[in-house]
Amino acid sequence: MVREELYRREGAEAIIVRPLDDIVLLYHRPSCQTHMVISPVPEILDAMADGLPASAPMLRDRLALLYDLGEGDVVGEIGQHLAYLDRIGLVRPA
Amino acid sequence: MSAMLLVAALRDPATVAGLDAAGWNSLIAMARAERLIGTLAFRLEGRAVPDAVRPILTDAKADAVREARQAIWEADRARAALAPIGLPVILLKGTAYAAAGLPAGQGRFIGDLDILVPRDRIDAAADALIAAGWEWVKEDPYDDAYYRQWMHELPPMIHAERDRMIDVHHTVLPLTARPTPDAAAMMADAVLITDGLYMLCAEDRVCHAVAHLLADGDLQGGLRNLWDIHTLLADVDPQALEARAARHGILPHVRQAQRLAAAIYGAGGRLTLWDRLVRARLLARNGWGQETRKALVFAFFVRSHWLRMPPLMLARHLFTKWRKGHRPQ
Amino acid sequence: MRHSLTLRIGPATFRIGSAWAQPIDQLKRLYADYPDVDGAIADFTVRLQPTSAVRRWVRPSIFITGDHGLADAAPMSLAHGLLAAEMGMNLQMALGWRRHLLLHASSVEKDGRVLVMTGESGSGKSTLAAQLGERGWRLMGDEFALLDLDSGAILPFPRLVSLKNKAIEVIAGEVPAARMGPLLGATAKGDIRHMVPRADAVARMGEGGMPALLLFPRFGSGPAERPVGQGEVFMRLTQASTNYVALGEPAFAALTRFVAQVPARAIDFPSGEAAIAMVDRLWSEIA
Repeated sequence: MVREELYRREGAEAIIVRPLDDIVLLYHRPSCQTHMVISPVPEILDAMADGLPASAPMLRDRLALLYDLGEGDVVGEIGQHLAYLDRIGLVRPA
Repeated sequence: MSAMLLVAALRDPATVAGLDAAGWNSLIAMARAERLIGTLAFRLEGRAVPDAVRPILTDAKADAVREARQAIWEADRARAALAPIGLPVILLKGTAYAAAGLPAGQGRFIGDLDILVPRDRIDAAADALIAAGWEWVKEDPYDDAYYRQWMHELPPMIHAERDRMIDVHHTVLPLTARPTPDAAAMMADAVLITDGLYMLCAEDRVCHAVAHLLADGDLQGGLRNLWDIHTLLADVDPQALEARAARHGILPHVRQAQRLAAAIYGAGGRLTLWDRLVRARLLARNGWGQETRKALVFAFFVRSHWLRMPPLMLARHLFTKWRKGHRPQ
Repeated sequence: MRHSLTLRIGPATFRIGSAWAQPIDQLKRLYADYPDVDGAIADFTVRLQPTSAVRRWVRPSIFITGDHGLADAAPMSLAHGLLAAEMGMNLQMALGWRRHLLLHASSVEKDGRVLVMTGESGSGKSTLAAQLGERGWRLMGDEFALLDLDSGAILPFPRLVSLKNKAIEVIAGEVPAARMGPLLGATAKGDIRHMVPRADAVARMGEGGMPALLLFPRFGSGPAERPVGQGEVFMRLTQASTNYVALGEPAFAALTRFVAQVPARAIDFPSGEAAIAMVDRLWSEIA
């Protein structure tokens, strides 16, 4: 099932994180690319900081402990963010 | 002045000690024009150079390092895109040298990502790349039909977000050219670099570079291609190379490349009359970075199309291109 | 290349070759007070060459190229040779400079601190910088501001200031004729005249300063002013930089530090006087 796909965050040395007042900047060393992201992407990356495989449902549970995630298809949205992060190389399929 | 100044510096870096300011200006302009400034910078590493030259070489090295990193990333993205259809990625040219850490990769400027896939899987490969964000570059249907029927590669693709090109080859020379290398053998004998990334075996790397230089192009960028060949030759067994070259039908070309590499970058050697013409074309660059010997260069340009196409097709192709306003540079 | 000249502007040295004497002669006159670097080793080679053999003589047509070039560069007439040479130098910097982060911006300095102004062509950043340069500020550049990757300072690139259309009249009225170049009429961007920076700005081309204020000027309405969020500043500066991507991680570090430390405002102004007044006020409030 798509929702159960597992991803692993790239190591801390691969990504530089710089918060600005309204967005977060990410520099990805292997690709030399800069990305501008907003919540919940930085929070998702933080929730994967242990480097272990995580799925969208697992991340939803972790994030729910810290933030009010609101209504709607939270797991689906997290899944879309993970697919985006996979595409740009900040996470990899585990 | 010819590019002898540049090849002398690459062959024997100690020779730069005698250069004055005008000599350095010429050397740098030539190296940049031939896309060899990164290679020159690595050849001159650790050597005393004038203060004004040092930052120029430092910049060139840094550029080459960054390019290699981006090229390797492109290779990784191609791997990720083709993994779902079970297609391993066989890297060609500069990206292969960089990914494998070969001496040929040091300081080399890498352009597009070049990969080799079996012809019967090429459409599936194109679909997988499109699904992962690559797009076709050209929209001219004439060019597209020409490409698909006769060329050794798909029409060029570019990644929409990263703005980087990929060339998907199914063999290493156009189908209309006379030598027909054994693409299946090249793929069967490819060697692993790392997860999902392969390159041609050492002898095939030389063969591919030679095909690219002598049997395919009009020698644009020839000095750089020949430098690749010169460094790649160090890794091959000479007899294995002969056998492999014969198998691909390019033995005379490989022998010619060996003679030229030795004469230009190596210890010297005997050149045939034809070799001398090729060398003259390769060295046709002056101290301002301009191409010299226009007639000779144009003759090779026409010849390159001749090699790729039977004469009648050539005439029709050039006529169509001429009508559309294309002119050789 | 029959005619040539070597020029130094800020930290960069250019070897300029031309098939025709005219552009070189014009450069020599306008850059007369710049450092003498005849015979030096150059960072870049610029070439003004004929688009074809016959176009050297017949309706002379210049193809601008050099170490770095664009294959589809529009040819220019010999009458605009001075402009071609300036564009050739800009092209080398834009495509080949790696020692600093390049921002497409004008900059002026006062009391060791630097005002950086960035915007599209026509935003007024060049004209405003030239005007401030005549009113007690030191002009550092109108086209490129160089950001030092280690120190975060802005360094000068005081080339000839390129004034377009109405700006020509405004500046020509304030500046002696000896410091104005020839009128280049009907270029792709309208009428152009070049202005030579003041002697002081030329003499101090090696001196930078820490950036204290970033402005996004826009000529044609207002006066109005608004603060600009850091995300927007970062995005607009990367778009305004030709070498951000090529520099990689050091550029990311330098630019994020700049964005975090330098206050930014967007200003709209209906006239040069209004702009100068806004700049003076904002500078005293913020810088």
